[in-house]
Amino acid sequence: MKYCNACNVRVRGTYERCVLCGNTLSALDDSADQEEIFPVVPPYYESRLAMRIMIFISLAAIITSFAVRMIFPTSVNWPIFVLFGIISSWLSMVVILRKGRNIPKVIIWQVTIVPVLAVFWDWQTGWRGWALDYLIPALYLAAEVVMYVTAKIMKLSIRDYIIYAFFDGLFGIIPILFILLHWVIHSTHQSSVLPSALFFIGHFHIPG
Amino acid sequence: MKHQKDVEWSKLDNASKIFPATWNPKDPKVFRFSCELYAVIVPDILQKALEITVSNFPLYKSVLKRGIFWYYLESSDIRPEVQIESTPVCAPIYVGLKSNLLFRVSYFKRRINLEVFHVLSDGAGAIRFMRSLVYYYLTLLHPEEFSGKILENDASSISEQMDDSYKKHYVRGKTYRRMVKEEKIQTKVNAYKIRGIRTAENRMTLIEGSMSVQSVLNEAHKYNTTLTVFISSLFIYSIYKAMPSRGSDKPVVLTVPVNLRQFFKSVTSRNFFSTVNVGYKFEQDDDLQLVIQSVGESFKKYLTVEQLNYQLCKFISFERNPFARVVPLPVKDFILRLAAKSYARYATSNISNVGKIVMPSEFSCHIREFSVCTSVRKPQITLCSFNDKMVISITSPFKEMEIQRTFFQMLAAMDIQIEISSNL
Repeated sequence: MKYCNACNVRVRGTYERCVLCGNTLSALDDSADQEEIFPVVPPYYESRLAMRIMIFISLAAIITSFAVRMIFPTSVNWPIFVLFGIISSWLSMVVILRKGRNIPKVIIWQVTIVPVLAVFWDWQTGWRGWALDYLIPALYLAAEVVMYVTAKIMKLSIRDYIIYAFFDGLFGIIPILFILLHWVIHSTHQSSVLPSALFFIGHFHIPG
Repeated sequence: MKHQKDVEWSKLDNASKIFPATWNPKDPKVFRFSCELYAVIVPDILQKALEITVSNFPLYKSVLKRGIFWYYLESSDIRPEVQIESTPVCAPIYVGLKSNLLFRVSYFKRRINLEVFHVLSDGAGAIRFMRSLVYYYLTLLHPEEFSGKILENDASSISEQMDDSYKKHYVRGKTYRRMVKEEKIQTKVNAYKIRGIRTAENRMTLIEGSMSVQSVLNEAHKYNTTLTVFISSLFIYSIYKAMPSRGSDKPVVLTVPVNLRQFFKSVTSRNFFSTVNVGYKFEQDDDLQLVIQSVGESFKKYLTVEQLNYQLCKFISFERNPFARVVPLPVKDFILRLAAKSYARYATSNISNVGKIVMPSEFSCHIREFSVCTSVRKPQITLCSFNDKMVISITSPFKEMEIQRTFFQMLAAMDIQIEISSNL
């Protein structure tokens, strides 16, 4: 054990300086109590480093693309797509990082965000109708399948994901609205019915 | 069709409701009990002791789940495992939706650490778990020495341990309504706020000072007061000494958690505490004597069954409020966070005296000391004692050491021998 003459306290552990005042400790006669009481826990810098690298790459890509267009002008404003593309991937990643432990929840978040982004992209690129006609029904269909498979693989009990399954089903009905409201452009709009149909079939099976 | 296994679940008790809502990485709402033995810990035996202890405290097998309206505890069959200490002091335990146990038992050299997420229990509840763990560890380690020793006052039934004592003990009546009126006319003053530079990764700096109970009691008796009042006043005074002059127009206020088990008959292992605020507004040249006097009076005034019952009713009324009941959980969380933030303005810090930890006297030759600390948002003080050894811990999220230094230097100046240990 060591002693701090400024604080008048004994200090346990392997310190050279007093933890309270920073003065040099003087040794006491007894050599006992020289071992550390708490372990040294190394810092977790790595995850932050990865985050920094990703932010750097994103910013660099955006700035470079705008700069390149200024040097070699084109009629299409493609750097905007780079910008929105990067924002889209960040949004999706943030959701996965924050909710990652709960897969059904991630699925719900993704099927909420991705359609918004898809409609936005479709609209920005001249409204060809692919988002409402194909992507959204396909996405909901996939979400239902993935949700079901995840629940089976992770052996989730229905109690663990009933809220998410409910929302998933609710979303599945949305494409029918597109048909009813005549929002779909292409004639192959039958695909919109699929998610709802699957949900209703699945509905009877899930409790197993 | 398979049948779903019936799952045992229970509501959170009243105080627990705040913790999952206000939890965050800066303040994970975790507290830690440590027991330092004279001999190095044997992990295998600690694991066995843990398994026996957990089987006696079924609450500790719970995991926290989110419902649509409330959080709830669900019993699990996860097997708790002791680990060599490898996380910072009071590192987060509950991290959102991963269903893990709400406590952690670790060891390092001669210490056994029990870290608990506050949802599960308060200090007084967790102490029973800690005592039981140490008891089984030592009896398994020295079977010939301790055959037939029984841990005293541990005979409560499991259902009593699981009690939500808040519901059981609150009384709403005339006095309550009178006190509501009284409180409305009182104006609340913002307390002085300690500021500092946060440590990297939100780690806690912990300074433990271990000393003789009797020597501190002697000092307290010189001022004609109790140990808790004495330590509280000393801490208030240390905060004042470290205060920059521009903050000094505000009072230094300590929140004191009160173990309600001593006021209302209960042996619950879950949360059953309330809090009172005691403070002091410094004028120039005020000395410790004046602080002790004022703090002592506040303690006397607030620590009455009537006053505590009033607090209890206030807590319960939030839970019973029909509006609060029907809003979904994320909204509740948000409201609770706001409420906690606005309440935090009225307090500078927190002092928690867990009190005496009693073990059968034959164990004394194996146990060096017990200590307790907690995750904090500002420097806070916690203390407990075992036989004649009291450990006062000051946990802080800041790099500054001024308050800790002043506090322990003042105690040392009273000729009290102090041994400092720290995680720095």
